Amino acid sequence: MTAPTTGPGTDPRPQVVGTDDGPAVAGVRCTACGHPSAFPRPRCPACRGPVVPALFGPTGRVWSSTVVRIPVPGRTPPYALAYVDLDDGPRVLAGAEGDAALAMDTPVRLLPADPAGDVRVAVVR
Amino acid sequence: MTVAVHGVGTSHFGRQPGRTLTDLAWDAVREALADAGTEDVDAVWVGTVFGAPGVAQRVLHALGITDVPVVTVENACASGTTAFLEAHESVRTGRYRRVLALGLEQMSTAFDGAITPEPTDAEGLSGLAMPALYAMAAHRYLETGAATLEQLAAVSVKNHAVAEHNDRAQYAGRYTVEQVLASRMIADPLTLLQCCPTSDGAAAAVLAPADGSPDEVLVRGLGFRSGSLWDHRSAHVWGYDLVAATAADAFAQAGTGPDDVDVFEVHDAFTVGEVATTEALGIVPPGDGGAAAAAGVTAVGGARPVNPSGGLLSRGHPLGATGLAQVAEVVWQLRGRAGGRQVEGARTGLVETMGGGVSGIDGNGCVVAVLAR
Repeated sequence: MTAPTTGPGTDPRPQVVGTDDGPAVAGVRCTACGHPSAFPRPRCPACRGPVVPALFGPTGRVWSSTVVRIPVPGRTPPYALAYVDLDDGPRVLAGAEGDAALAMDTPVRLLPADPAGDVRVAVVR
Repeated sequence: MTVAVHGVGTSHFGRQPGRTLTDLAWDAVREALADAGTEDVDAVWVGTVFGAPGVAQRVLHALGITDVPVVTVENACASGTTAFLEAHESVRTGRYRRVLALGLEQMSTAFDGAITPEPTDAEGLSGLAMPALYAMAAHRYLETGAATLEQLAAVSVKNHAVAEHNDRAQYAGRYTVEQVLASRMIADPLTLLQCCPTSDGAAAAVLAPADGSPDEVLVRGLGFRSGSLWDHRSAHVWGYDLVAATAADAFAQAGTGPDDVDVFEVHDAFTVGEVATTEALGIVPPGDGGAAAAAGVTAVGGARPVNPSGGLLSRGHPLGATGLAQVAEVVWQLRGRAGGRQVEGARTGLVETMGGGVSGIDGNGCVVAVLAR
């Protein structure tokens, strides 16, 4: 029995990498059902089929959003969060700029890997 | 075998940092055992989330409950109802004859405010406090036109008002929609009065084979699931599909549907939670949850009373205790002894508890129980 070796250390968050097409979330896609996952899962969480590494982004749309205005350890409120459905990819939780919730379906783009380790997006103007 | 609830009890719910968990548990256990007319149980299932290792036995031995199997379960906000469900199954299958289900939690000494997001979780480490998860459900409801801000606030108005008749509740009061919306913003669009408070409390139930005793309340159906994947394919807000699927299991076992239920105790940790749950349970059609609250449909005295206790929003939400407090409320309602918050003529009741905190799935666990006289 061997542990999965694809994980990026111990950080549980999706990992953002740089590509020629811009920032991307490094996850996996199922070769059986096509399900995209934002994480290095050892097998498809939807159908348990085999997975291969896949990159997702940089563009997507907001599914929903909020601004957190209460203290959370390690963070300074207020801060905006959004569930973003990456194009042909998974839904990821991302940080967003500003102190207003983003409207549903707002087009957004992944920002380069954040030193603090968060997935972050900016609104496409 | 039909299993019955023979006794229930709860402590007061609220910030009680000066009381020990043993004090809180004693209030609940003493009342439940007296209600059941017994001093002896053959096993104990305990639901708690943040309790220290050994908290169940530490509390129980101090109450003189020793030398019996004690099992502790953790299932986020559904821990208490998970203990109830497992206690039920152990009686139903004949493993034990009389079983105590106990839920307990002391939040005020563990957290300054909201529960700290779990740093080993992808979204927890990303700053997703629980209010933010529900806030995104609320935002989605608003943006799709499924509810209005005023309708969300109406849930808070309703549950705080009815809690004036529940002297065990942490908060009660006559608020207006405007006051709810003007309270401090926690996570847009959810304001303080739309969020459950930090609470300490315990609640208990005694289960045994139905024997026809006049006060017994029968367990007619139970559903219990963990969440499916919640991802880009999910059209509904977080938790909705899990509640719907779990309720379908419980209704199938009970041979009933939502229209047969007279009173509901559901998981309103946040206002939008009650709105979504009333829809997912089939109490009202999809998209009508907010309008139903605003129109009084889900108030005591309305056609489909939801959360006559005041719900988590007002009674408080000590995680492990909540599910068994919901059970206690429904038992009191079905016995006709709920005082000023009584749903007249209630014969069938439903409890729904929904726990979260693990990202990527539709909920850590959901329990739905159908109870009847």
